[in-house]
Amino acid sequence: MGLHGRNRVFRFLFKKQRQIELLIYSYLDHLRITQRRFSEALKLSLDHNLSGTFVFLTEQTHKFESKADDIREEITNLMYGKALLPESREDIMTLLEEIDAIPRVFEQVLYMIRTQKMLIPDFVIPDIKKLISVSLGSFELTLRQTESLFKRGKGIRALVATIDQNESKCDHIQRRIITSVFDSDLDPFQKLQLKDMISCMGEISDQADRVSKRVNIITMKRRV
Amino acid sequence: MISLLAGVFLGWSLGANDASNVFGTAVASRMLRFWSAAVLASLFVLLGALLQGHAGIETLKDLTRLTLDQAAVCSVAAAVTVTIMTVFSLPVSTSQAVVGGILGISLLNRQLNVEGLGKVVTCWLGTPVGAAVIAIILYKVLAAVYNGLNMNLFQTDSVLRLSLIVAGSYASYALGANNVANVTAVFVGAGKLSLFTALLVGGLSIGLGIMTYSRRVMETVGKRLVRLDPFSALIVVLAEAITVHLYAFIGVPVSTSQAVIGAVLGVGVVKGIETVRRRTLVNILIGWFITPLVAALIAVALYFAIHLQYMPGH
Repeated sequence: MGLHGRNRVFRFLFKKQRQIELLIYSYLDHLRITQRRFSEALKLSLDHNLSGTFVFLTEQTHKFESKADDIREEITNLMYGKALLPESREDIMTLLEEIDAIPRVFEQVLYMIRTQKMLIPDFVIPDIKKLISVSLGSFELTLRQTESLFKRGKGIRALVATIDQNESKCDHIQRRIITSVFDSDLDPFQKLQLKDMISCMGEISDQADRVSKRVNIITMKRRV
Repeated sequence: MISLLAGVFLGWSLGANDASNVFGTAVASRMLRFWSAAVLASLFVLLGALLQGHAGIETLKDLTRLTLDQAAVCSVAAAVTVTIMTVFSLPVSTSQAVVGGILGISLLNRQLNVEGLGKVVTCWLGTPVGAAVIAIILYKVLAAVYNGLNMNLFQTDSVLRLSLIVAGSYASYALGANNVANVTAVFVGAGKLSLFTALLVGGLSIGLGIMTYSRRVMETVGKRLVRLDPFSALIVVLAEAITVHLYAFIGVPVSTSQAVIGAVLGVGVVKGIETVRRRTLVNILIGWFITPLVAALIAVALYFAIHLQYMPGH
């Protein structure tokens, strides 16, 4: 039997596993779209533009987050259909649950801005942009790290270190923004509103760090 | 024919109990449906019995000369012993129970092949120790290969699942080759069955036990192995299979349960963790002495019981 034939036999034997693999890639693609919509919507809000486009992009973020959720549910159902070893099932489910917390934060930030009609003061905008840029960078690295877990387990450790550094950087920026908010003459209510939003944004890099460490543990567990 | 039923019953209980040692991990972790595992196990047990079961039969039938009644008494004594030991949760070995039964009858016959018995007892001691050593070697060698392959999550999963199924099939083959002698060797010794018929009947009765009554044991015992990581579980099944297969070549039926405990212990040594409780090891030691003793006593008692005669007027 040639290499092609062997691959076909292998795919037939592990059909459900292949389905799960493809669904995971689709899930990650949906998360990327969610992240792009979030980024575009947030950019508009930082330009003080909470118009129809912002609302549309917020809804798009929600829509793709929901789609990703549906895919995750499909993956869970398939896994309980006797595909994969119990240990792998548990690892994948926990990992996807942890990743899923990030797009929920995207949604939360946008709905916070939209429902509370928040206007972000100009003096914090450069730092917020920096915070979001580093956080989204971490999120992208996390997705790449997750892909390497399912494709080739190389370079995962190096990414753990980068994501960890990003998390410290974001903590630092977050503290700086909150300090500057409370040092300002803003209305106390607005200060608390902004503090909540910044803390929520800071959760992106914190969660990305948790996901990255989880991926590393899953990889380490598979070394005997 | 009725006396042969005792052997078939022993084979059935052996299949029902020992299938968990070969496919327990795969079934308990739901990577293989019970029925697929049962069919694979039964098929390979029969194959092992037919192709390599003769050596064990030669050893056991030569331990002593048996009449047909005595052969049936041996089988019943072994089956009763296995039941009693199971009730007391001791890791029982059908092989030790059968040899105990033969020993009891040989005391009555005053005819025992001491050399053959020595070989059998040495192999009993060697089963857990041998399995532990094989597990240590296998773990080190296969871990180096496994880590060197640098596979992703899905690849490791596929490789481990496929390997567990292959290892389970091989362990079933080894179980058939090694343990078929427990079931029908005494009937060959008594001249009731030809070698081929003994292998066929033995293999089929073990298979029947697997198909009809092994599900619950497979799921409960298998779960204990699943607590190990999948790679360690694979090593345990492989080490057990190799150990039992080696003894099939030597021609001595040994306990698959004791081989599993030895292999789990070996994995623990490599990983530097305690995988087997001291109590389990003590129970094995107790089992080594108690199982043959109880079986011998039951065999003697049964033999006298069936030869009791009613003598009117006395």
